[in-house]
Amino acid sequence: MNGELCTIKGTRDGLVINIADVSQFSEVLSSLERQLLASQSFFRGSSAKVYLHKGVLTESYLDQIEELIADYGMRLNREPPQLSMTRPPVDPMEEETPEVVEDTTLLVRRTIRSGQRLHYDGNVVIMGDVNPGAEVVCTGDILVLGALRGVAHAGAEGKVDATVFAFRLEPTQLRIAHVISRAPDEKSPRPSGPEIARVVANSVQLSMYSH
Amino acid sequence: MGKVIVITSGKGGVGKTTTTANLGTGLAAAGKKVCLVDTDIGLRNLDVVLGLENRIVYDLLDVVEGKCRLRQALIKDKQFGENLVLLPAAQTREKDAVSPEQMLKLMEQLRRVYDFVLLDSPAGIEHGFKNAIAGADAAIVVTTPEISAVRDADRIIGLLEAAELYDPKLIINRVRPEMVRKGDMMSIDDIDDILAISILGVIPDDQDIIVSTNKGETVVLDKRSRPGQAYRNIVRRMLGDEVPFLDLQGRKMLHWFKRILSGEAQ
Repeated sequence: MNGELCTIKGTRDGLVINIADVSQFSEVLSSLERQLLASQSFFRGSSAKVYLHKGVLTESYLDQIEELIADYGMRLNREPPQLSMTRPPVDPMEEETPEVVEDTTLLVRRTIRSGQRLHYDGNVVIMGDVNPGAEVVCTGDILVLGALRGVAHAGAEGKVDATVFAFRLEPTQLRIAHVISRAPDEKSPRPSGPEIARVVANSVQLSMYSH
Repeated sequence: MGKVIVITSGKGGVGKTTTTANLGTGLAAAGKKVCLVDTDIGLRNLDVVLGLENRIVYDLLDVVEGKCRLRQALIKDKQFGENLVLLPAAQTREKDAVSPEQMLKLMEQLRRVYDFVLLDSPAGIEHGFKNAIAGADAAIVVTTPEISAVRDADRIIGLLEAAELYDPKLIINRVRPEMVRKGDMMSIDDIDDILAISILGVIPDDQDIIVSTNKGETVVLDKRSRPGQAYRNIVRRMLGDEVPFLDLQGRKMLHWFKRILSGEAQ
């Protein structure tokens, strides 16, 4: 299938003609014809469905495909194939590229207010406050350049070395990975400077931030 | 083109209606043409606070449903006549009887005639709130110095921003300076710390309000009333004046009290 705009595959849903991109339809047809020629009479007497990955498959396209494959003794089944049965033709270049896990960071330039929830896959930097009743959840670190008074969950997918930093770290509840801690019920005097929270010996520990 | 301002809070009972009535009266007294709109369908109050309940024939719903002309539903104030009118809410219907689109259309009509259209929003964040903010181009958030009210105000500010009503102004109602001084009540700074929006005014808690509300009057024109003074200051700020905040905590307050007692307030 390498480089072909079109492939013929046997699936549990029967024979499926996979079309990568319908915008070059004449190339699709010639590619299909090439393969049918190469297969000789292998597909004779069978019926095939068409599966399109990109673009819109119009009736006229289907008619042309039907006409072409009829020359090779095949019938066209116009029902859409069951998607789980087919796998899209993958660009070989794409297949070889290893998945890069990027450490993305979201910059939020406003205050997160009560009832608002921020969820992000990566780190979050908030230029503003996180108010009580608000929630910030992310898979990486959380930095609040302001007061953190709501709920923060860093390393939400199990990253235990995630940290939570705030100029004023006064959260209702702080979660890092699977460790949950909450503010003490009694109001205790808090340091006024920036603090950082991290997991130490399976509990969340707050300390003054120094570098 | 007039300005459409929604007065909202999230939490109920913080003084939205009283604030709407007083600011409307104050603006009318300053020579502006004002229309007050009660959007609290099913739980209307603004008419009662203004003492106009017995004059209602048509309401907001009749207008949007085309059962009457807009002018027919507007009730003139006892004191200011044409310059202060009320569009009452329907009492016998549900909030979803009106749509945000209908409200938007109605506001476009009103702003052509009036300098200020003040919308009294219902409590909550549901349909009624969405109706109230639909046609507004500015918002005033009312809160009291209680954690629950401030929390709800914060929620409302977030929702207003989401609805592209930026830069809402805050009115802090029912402040009791002596309680703040003792640390028993949230201070203005505490509230400002969380909400961080510009404060339009601070209204001291006062028995006057209850008395006047029950009589269907407003305090804003009462020269001897502390909350009246605070509302007058807000009106002036709404008109663009720079007015210093009442010193509710310092000695000036005592001084002020003495002046009131000696009958020479203001």
